[in-house]
Amino acid sequence: MTLPLGIFYALSALMIGFSLVVVTSRNLFRGAMCLTASMGFVAAFFALLGGDFLAASQLLIYVGGVMVLILFVVMFVQTPDLFRARQTSVRWIPALLLAGGVGALFIRAFCHIESPTELPVLQPTSTALGHLLLGDMAVPFEVISLVLLAALVGALVFGLERES
Amino acid sequence: MFEIGPLLIQAFTYARQFLTTLGATPLQAVVGIKFLQTTLTISIILAIPLFLVYAERKISAFMQARLGPMHTGPWGLLQTPADTIKLLFKEDIVPQGADRLLHLLAVILAAAPVFVCFAPVPWGTGFPLINLDTGILFVFAVSGVSTLGILAAGWGSGNKFSMLGGLRGAAQMVSYEIPRALSVVPVVLFYSSLNLQTIATAQMERWHGWMPKWFIFYPGIGQIAFIVFLIASVAETNRIPFDIPEAESELVSGYHTEYSGMKFAFFFLAEYVYVFLSSALVTTLFLGGADGAAFLPSWMWFLGKTLLIVFLFLWFRWTFPRLRVDRLMQFCWQFLLPLALVNIVLTVGWMMCKTPSQDVLPTQAAIPSSEMHGSPDDAGLTKAVEK
Repeated sequence: MTLPLGIFYALSALMIGFSLVVVTSRNLFRGAMCLTASMGFVAAFFALLGGDFLAASQLLIYVGGVMVLILFVVMFVQTPDLFRARQTSVRWIPALLLAGGVGALFIRAFCHIESPTELPVLQPTSTALGHLLLGDMAVPFEVISLVLLAALVGALVFGLERES
Repeated sequence: MFEIGPLLIQAFTYARQFLTTLGATPLQAVVGIKFLQTTLTISIILAIPLFLVYAERKISAFMQARLGPMHTGPWGLLQTPADTIKLLFKEDIVPQGADRLLHLLAVILAAAPVFVCFAPVPWGTGFPLINLDTGILFVFAVSGVSTLGILAAGWGSGNKFSMLGGLRGAAQMVSYEIPRALSVVPVVLFYSSLNLQTIATAQMERWHGWMPKWFIFYPGIGQIAFIVFLIASVAETNRIPFDIPEAESELVSGYHTEYSGMKFAFFFLAEYVYVFLSSALVTTLFLGGADGAAFLPSWMWFLGKTLLIVFLFLWFRWTFPRLRVDRLMQFCWQFLLPLALVNIVLTVGWMMCKTPSQDVLPTQAAIPSSEMHGSPDDAGLTKAVEK
């Protein structure tokens, strides 16, 4: 087993472990912290695959931004049930079937993919990414920024409503 | 001149050859050298708070017409080491209502990212730094992890004051990160790189043969970006006038109320190292990095400029009163953020006037600023660049 492969398996095991805690822990705050950790491991996977810009963005947006907001909300709505929240849904049998089916599909699909045996050499990706985003991919990029703009305007509308 | 950088590179090359002669494979030798470099960097970073705490005590004392620490060692020089030893021997207390695991984890989360952030900082010519292509983005991303430490400290202490401190800290740091990142966008656009080394070297030219071509000297855009970045950096480090997460008169001492001994010391270590890191970033982005006259080596220029900005941080702390919570948020969202956005538009306008040629587009547009934050201005900005 090569070194990158070993790192990959170690990261995968850690990520799966933390994700399991997210869905089993009854303490909502701890669950959110574990979700943060799995987000961080996603960044590690990006870095392992040579996406340095993507890894940094993942860390910046998900760990430093989104997860902080989620934790913020958890701290705000602090009630005693937060610590003994039931982690199993009432309809857990159909949910289990659905999750198992999707999992099987994924395994079946990924068995057919020829994965590159050699990991890419880590090299700068930001320039290439910039060329893509403002060149060939300019239209989708603009459309995505429209979505973000709509979200911002929506947030503003809600904020104003509360003030008046 | 006495440059440390090339000497260090030479030393590490020799060390690698020595490891190879001992029978290590090339990969093992490289890993060994990296381990050595990391240890060295961490030791240097750990020494920074020692000096900064002493400087803070002395400077605050002089500003208030006092002498500051005088009894431990000459001019009180040994006061900080003595305090560190005291903190080491103090009892580590975890409150009864605390979440023990999170209480411990908070310290690690707050202090550990500090050391990683220094990886891409360009100390001077020839330093064996990690030449990260995503330099500034990397620093922002990793330093953002410390916010989690403050939140975990607030929650894990099981104390309402800590909780309020943690909440305030998270709100403040998430808000101020946006103008901070946006104020760097003009620099990134101008030098069309995120790499701190590239940005620092690009500023080493001269106007008319004498005036340094640092980013802060570009009329208008340079100063606005500098001011926004400096203010947002002070807010990010939770220092007065932005210290509402630990406001003594309101929250006892905020998120680190329930910490004692070395755990408490680590929060302080993180704060002071972040002050130093922010100053180093200001130096790299706006003050030309290690650029300077030849009578001093480059690393001394870098350190000197950084310490000057550190002095600014200390000066602010002992000059300004604390902001109120709502005013703090208002200041960020209604003043700093629009200012940073206007500055981006101004920079793009400047660049289009300066270089109206066709070839400016691909290289200059290569920085996807909206990757960091989806701001409403991004659509307009990219369109402006495309025109």
